[in-house]
Amino acid sequence: MSKADMEHWRRVTSDLVKLKNTSEMMIDLAYSAVLLNSRYLAEEVQLLEEQMDQLHIDFQCRALSRTVEKVDPRDLLGIIRMGNVTERIADAAAEIAEVVLRGIEPHPILQMVIQDAEETVERVTVSGDSPVAGKTIKEAALADETGMWVLVIRRDNKWIRPRPDTVLMAGDVVIASGYSEGEEDFKRLLTGKISEEEE
Amino acid sequence: MIKVRKTEYKPAPVRETLIQMKDISELMIDLAYSAALFHNKELAEEVMELEAKVDDLVYLLNMNLMLAARDRRDAETLAGVAKIGSLTNAISDAAADIASLVLHDIEVHSAVREVFQRAEEHLGRVVVSDGSFICGKTVDDLDLASEVGVDIIAIRRGQVWHINPDKELIMPGDILVARGTEEGLEHLLAAAKGEAENFE
Repeated sequence: MSKADMEHWRRVTSDLVKLKNTSEMMIDLAYSAVLLNSRYLAEEVQLLEEQMDQLHIDFQCRALSRTVEKVDPRDLLGIIRMGNVTERIADAAAEIAEVVLRGIEPHPILQMVIQDAEETVERVTVSGDSPVAGKTIKEAALADETGMWVLVIRRDNKWIRPRPDTVLMAGDVVIASGYSEGEEDFKRLLTGKISEEEE
Repeated sequence: MIKVRKTEYKPAPVRETLIQMKDISELMIDLAYSAALFHNKELAEEVMELEAKVDDLVYLLNMNLMLAARDRRDAETLAGVAKIGSLTNAISDAAADIASLVLHDIEVHSAVREVFQRAEEHLGRVVVSDGSFICGKTVDDLDLASEVGVDIIAIRRGQVWHINPDKELIMPGDILVARGTEEGLEHLLAAAKGEAENFE
């Protein structure tokens, strides 16, 4: 296979991986939105859906663009279909989120994950003054400090799954869940209205 | 004519049924992508089995939802739950479509597979034989993640699936679905076949 072809397929695959990861994140967030009855999470899913449509078009155009070698249509069909499936999964996730956005209170039958404690979801933008700006999630010890767990981080138009080594940056939109007692601490820490040492 | 099994009503807690459907559909997605990328028909067939299960569960869910509605307010809120159930089913249908590509021998372009295989963790399907030292141990006991870098994400015992097992005892004949490095999966395979005494 020529170098140009290799590069072509590398890009097609990287687009497909992006589609797959985005759709999986959407499912994750959509069910969390239902289980936590969170409009914030549901809105993120809707935003991701818009991005997903564009990603899918980009992927299809790239996959169908001409390569030097001769390609068996069955080979192409496989990845085009896989792309379609990620799109269908994303659509389903967006519709699940829409159930939450309709504003129907969850039925008691769904009495959710944590029955006794009040669980809440918060969405906060990291301020430049925040002591956690520039720190990794591990260094910031958000869970220890506030009892809130980061579910997802939105940076510009990218959604990032939190990992211990993910660096929090000023301007990041952080969505986290936890007990409602931790909510105020969490907001103060991320907006920089309180220093970490005082905690 | 194709025969479809009748789904009979039985009382089932709505929340658990919905969560079960969600867990199964997520497992199906994992299995389906792996089936396509490694062109593995066994994995694809497992996806089809699970798909039939979700089809049953969505009927069961709806039956229980219908009986739970007593007034207008119930109807409003339960309609949302029914919608989520049918969307979960739609997700499992999507996964089944990927699996059916494999069963129709439509392969993913080899260059794409190579890139994917380097990037993604591998998924394997392992049958546990009689003499294996992992029999009688729980998934937690085995601590596979630290021993060999593998996670057991599901156990199938006949028609029964245990998803994200932890305290489940592993028995001869079990089919384990595991995720991890290629090397780790080989260790697990050798152990399950009874060819190894431990994970050394």
